[in-house]
Amino acid sequence: MKKAAAWAILFLGVTYFVLPLIGMVEFSLSMRRGVYSFDAYAKVLADPQFRQTFSYSVFMALLTIVFGMFLVVPTAFWVRLKMPRMRPVVEFVTLLPLVIPAIVVVFGYIRLFNTSSWLPMTGSTFGTNMLLMFGYATLSLPYMYRAVDTGLRTIDVATLTEAAQSLGAGWFTVLARVILPNVLVAVLSGAFVTFAIVMGEFTMAALLNRPAFGPYLQLMGANKAYEPFALATIAFVITWACMGLIQLVTRFSKHTKAAR
Amino acid sequence: MSFLTISHLEKSFGPNRVVKDFNLSVEQGEFISLLGPSGCGKTTVLRMVAGFETPSAGQITIDGADVVRLRPNQRNIGMVFQAYALFPNLTVAQNVGFGLKVKGAPAREIASRVEEMLALIGLPELGNRYPFQLSGGQQQRVALARALAPKPQVLLLDEPLSALDAKVRVSLRNEIRTIQRELGITTIFVTHDQEEALSMSDRVVVMHQGIADQVGTPFEIYNRPATRFVAGFVGTLNTLEAKVLDASTGRVDVAGTEILLHRALTGKTATLGLRPEMVALGQGAHDTGLQGTITDVDFLGSVIRLRADVGGQSIAFDTFNTTHTTPPRLGEKVVLGLNASDLLVIGD
Repeated sequence: MKKAAAWAILFLGVTYFVLPLIGMVEFSLSMRRGVYSFDAYAKVLADPQFRQTFSYSVFMALLTIVFGMFLVVPTAFWVRLKMPRMRPVVEFVTLLPLVIPAIVVVFGYIRLFNTSSWLPMTGSTFGTNMLLMFGYATLSLPYMYRAVDTGLRTIDVATLTEAAQSLGAGWFTVLARVILPNVLVAVLSGAFVTFAIVMGEFTMAALLNRPAFGPYLQLMGANKAYEPFALATIAFVITWACMGLIQLVTRFSKHTKAAR
Repeated sequence: MSFLTISHLEKSFGPNRVVKDFNLSVEQGEFISLLGPSGCGKTTVLRMVAGFETPSAGQITIDGADVVRLRPNQRNIGMVFQAYALFPNLTVAQNVGFGLKVKGAPAREIASRVEEMLALIGLPELGNRYPFQLSGGQQQRVALARALAPKPQVLLLDEPLSALDAKVRVSLRNEIRTIQRELGITTIFVTHDQEEALSMSDRVVVMHQGIADQVGTPFEIYNRPATRFVAGFVGTLNTLEAKVLDASTGRVDVAGTEILLHRALTGKTATLGLRPEMVALGQGAHDTGLQGTITDVDFLGSVIRLRADVGGQSIAFDTFNTTHTTPPRLGEKVVLGLNASDLLVIGD
């Protein structure tokens, strides 16, 4: 009886999750009347604006990942090594983007960095792109920090650092050759989540008026019937591909097995 | 002048003074052990030599140069840790060559030194393995090779055998000592295991509450303990309270038996130490016999550890297990034979 109830709950859960996806994919394939076709996908992929926004978001995602890595890995390392008492405070700060809506953050940015401010970042394309990248890094901070911190927890940071130092390594060498390679899987997990967040982000890109994939999705949704569903399917596949990559990287990492 | 000198070293963590006026001179090629219970400050001293802790006061010189202000990576010191601390992302060969690579040595030199070091530790065929593919003993050998590869001036060993099982510990401690002698490298070894310290060291520093209680050869430490703590910590020791009958000649009364120590004493009572192996069952050829009653018999295989009550004081002693002798029974009256010269007068 208990088993049957468990199966029933599982079935309901899967249905709740899968049914809308099936509906979305099915509708995206229904552009041609009476038969399933990839017409909507072909139209989307042929759209130069799709290619432009998609490549822009991919580029911004990569930039955000690199920036996030350089920000989070040394920070998490330093907090773990030298300021363990500050960990709850740093964790709280990294969680703030989850409770402060993106629209609040971006309005803050615009207010602080507009053309009449002391640092007029919104006055140039480069400055606005940088601002957007910082915004993306802020949004992905909770995931990136947690991933890296969890990775650091699996190694003996203090002893490895001291071992490297006793062999003549300075801080940069310790980070680049000892710490980073050992938390690379964790960094990549954070990176893939960051990638997925950036690819779907709408608020910041729209309010900073940047040609990103999120606003393009919204634009298509407001004006076309089938194409938005094709786009949503593509975005969904990208996200799941990222999740799959996390699993693959973890599995194929040579040295991540625990020491005996 | 000594190769490594530690003078008036102090370390406090907040209000806690964990190392107090620590002094030590180590000759080149000497193997020194810092021995003491947990929290006695031995690891803190080692970490200050390595540069991982900054002394609150004092000086550390290596080959005449003051190193206190140098960062750990500038001290040319090799260190082996209790937890191995091999870099999990690097192979054994890469681990061993890490220090040389950091120093910018040419690839050919690194390869030849790595080969030499792996041969030295007896693992020449394991260069391509990752640390997780090695046993604990093999990992610690690799850690030793890694520490030695850049040819450090001083080798520091922070309880490197503690995480290993008993058999591996014994074989590895012999290997470490052999390698240390072969290379003639000045070594400081931290341990809480007295057997390790006594068997491996040229000299032992017994530490207690941040102070070096006694510095001496293993023979001196064991046979002539300078303080009550050293006497109790190193080896098993029976302590006997004696009444001083004549302070100038050292005539004392132990449980109703007069013993002449042939040394001057102070005070009306004295605490005497007696190693179990210096006591025999029956007086035999010994100059002193104490009357006692057996209170405990522990069969330990090759030896039998006995405990006897002597005038209200307990004395543990060992007798060899032979098939021809029956061990005494509980409550049996016995005579414990000992020589007065084997009694240690224990100071504070």
